Amino acid sequence: MFDTSILLQILWTGIATATYGVLLAAAFSLVLKVVKVWNFAQAGMMGIAYYTLYVCLQKAALPAALALGIAVLVTIGAALLIDTLGLRTFRRRKSPSLTYFIFTLLLSELVQYVLAMIFGTEPVSLAATVGSASTMIAGVIVSRWDVTAMLSTLACLAVLYVVLRRTRYGKHMTAVADNPELSQLYGMSVARIYALTFALAALLVVAAMYLFGTRASMVPETPLRMMLAAVIAALLGGMDNLIGAALAALFLSLLQSFSVLFIPSAWQGLILYALLFITILFFPRGVKLPRRNARRKPAAAAAPSTA
Amino acid sequence: MKAVRRGVLRAGAALVLCSAVWAGSAAAAEPLPFGLALPMTGSQALFGADQAKAAQWAVDDINAKGGVNGRPLKMVLLDTQADPRQGINAVNRMISVDKVPVFGTAWSSVVKSVAPIANRSQTLELSVGANSPEIARLGDYVYTTYPLADVDIRALAKYSHDTLKKQKAAVLYIHNDSGVEGARIYRESFTAAGGQVVAYEAYDEQSTDYTGALLKVRAAQPDIIHIQGLVADLPQVITQLRRLGISQPITTYSAGYNPTIVKQLGAAGEGLIVSSLAPSPELSPTVAKFVERWQSTEHRVPNGLPYTQYLYDMPYLIADLYKHVLDSGKPVTGATIRAAMVSTGKFDLPMTGMLEVLPDHRVNKPVYLYQVKDGKFVALATVK
Repeated sequence: MFDTSILLQILWTGIATATYGVLLAAAFSLVLKVVKVWNFAQAGMMGIAYYTLYVCLQKAALPAALALGIAVLVTIGAALLIDTLGLRTFRRRKSPSLTYFIFTLLLSELVQYVLAMIFGTEPVSLAATVGSASTMIAGVIVSRWDVTAMLSTLACLAVLYVVLRRTRYGKHMTAVADNPELSQLYGMSVARIYALTFALAALLVVAAMYLFGTRASMVPETPLRMMLAAVIAALLGGMDNLIGAALAALFLSLLQSFSVLFIPSAWQGLILYALLFITILFFPRGVKLPRRNARRKPAAAAAPSTA
Repeated sequence: MKAVRRGVLRAGAALVLCSAVWAGSAAAAEPLPFGLALPMTGSQALFGADQAKAAQWAVDDINAKGGVNGRPLKMVLLDTQADPRQGINAVNRMISVDKVPVFGTAWSSVVKSVAPIANRSQTLELSVGANSPEIARLGDYVYTTYPLADVDIRALAKYSHDTLKKQKAAVLYIHNDSGVEGARIYRESFTAAGGQVVAYEAYDEQSTDYTGALLKVRAAQPDIIHIQGLVADLPQVITQLRRLGISQPITTYSAGYNPTIVKQLGAAGEGLIVSSLAPSPELSPTVAKFVERWQSTEHRVPNGLPYTQYLYDMPYLIADLYKHVLDSGKPVTGATIRAAMVSTGKFDLPMTGMLEVLPDHRVNKPVYLYQVKDGKFVALATVK
């Protein structure tokens, strides 16, 4: 069972199937970092993105690029509505965190219900067939979907990195994440930054759901179940660390994939729940990896006297 | 005076005679009601509405031929939304307001939730389409007309060993109630037939990557692989099996008898063997006419064809039960309708053939096996 080709196959497929989880974790973590909201409405956005793609691709037979464009517009629209009509109201009222949590969760449940009423509960896929061409390389089966998923995910993460680190709005997002009041004083429009954050998250969600739907099928309640992995990844990776969340999502996927070598496959789902408890209890601020170049500690004179 | 009295007497006699005839014909025309509780709205309406239509067609066809002893059947259709609470409301209403002595329903959760009402009120409940094995144990007044989950699985296991001569089987199953139960039944049946189950792997119902479990199956080198999954995961499991170079024949139960699955599988679906609990149009001219009727009126095939076949047959079964009770002269109650079903035992139904109701509340039906060839289901065998 521990043959090298088997281990490599599990590794390769584990990385490939982690791709949409990585994008979803990055989207969740982005909103958490900038807007400081546990955005459980992301499940609703996922459902809207998926079924928009389904209508465009399967019902209207539109080309993939056009379908993706429409799904991006619809999902961004939904995300902005959530922010404008819901979250902004709570921010104005200075509502407690629990209000955001209840609102976003109920919104996702409502979207799930409406999607079930419209599309039923039969599983639907975005692709006509769920298989894709594959070839064997060094004893490992590599499919076209695997390569497409990995390259797309890397491209999305690269774009996200460039936007956050190299663009003006990206730097504003970092500033607002650190201190929204101060950023406002410096002339940044916090409301616009929040809207941009939701728009970026929507882009990642559409990409993730497209990858998922071209490999598997979905029913309206699937997004809420997928959210668990995104939440755990955000917790494990550190609540303000997008790269950490993405790496955590990859780790979770590989852990589940390799676990079947040691435990019955039926128990794979338990791993997520076990990790959730371990993370909350022992890593409430995420797993901190040691930095390569440690920063100099601030001067001792800055510390208050304890005499 | 005598003539007047004679005239009045004659008129009175004529009036009494007319009243008797009128009363007799009114009783003769009084409809025979039965209930049908199905999801007509909500996420399952896609199937529920078609099943209700099939049942209504059967009622119309029966009544067009004179009904039952000259009396028309009347279907009381109420919506359950496939929700147990709505099912309870619907059944309570059809029993207390519409006074039906028998009703049909579907969707396992609804069948189970209304069973206590059927038992308490002594109204016969017919489960048509749900296949949870628990249905056989829901009480005296609950019977299934649709084979429960074990019938086609046992047939598949036996066929794989006895006809296809496979000695080693691998079983892959989804880790939920129906997957666990179905896999257990397959393992028992295949072993009882003389075979050996060399791999027995479950997969999580939320998983989309089955590589680990599939590699374990590959390492066990089975002759045949049986998958006990759901419509949502079957295409992914089969595709990933083939992608990993696992080329053994694959069987699955009636959930796989779905043109959508075959379409999603593409070339990976070739050779797949599935079971069905109702004959296809190719095997039955009656079913072929049914499908043509559907095409001409609805311009499509029915959603879930085997289930619509069973729903079409249900009014015919109820008509037989009513006839039995009326011919015996007994009053029509749930108890007498139930007794009629138990004593008759076998019913020859137009769409699905012979139905044998067993004392343990299960039914015996033939199992039809199909194989995917060139993207279509082709009849392979009938297992009785």
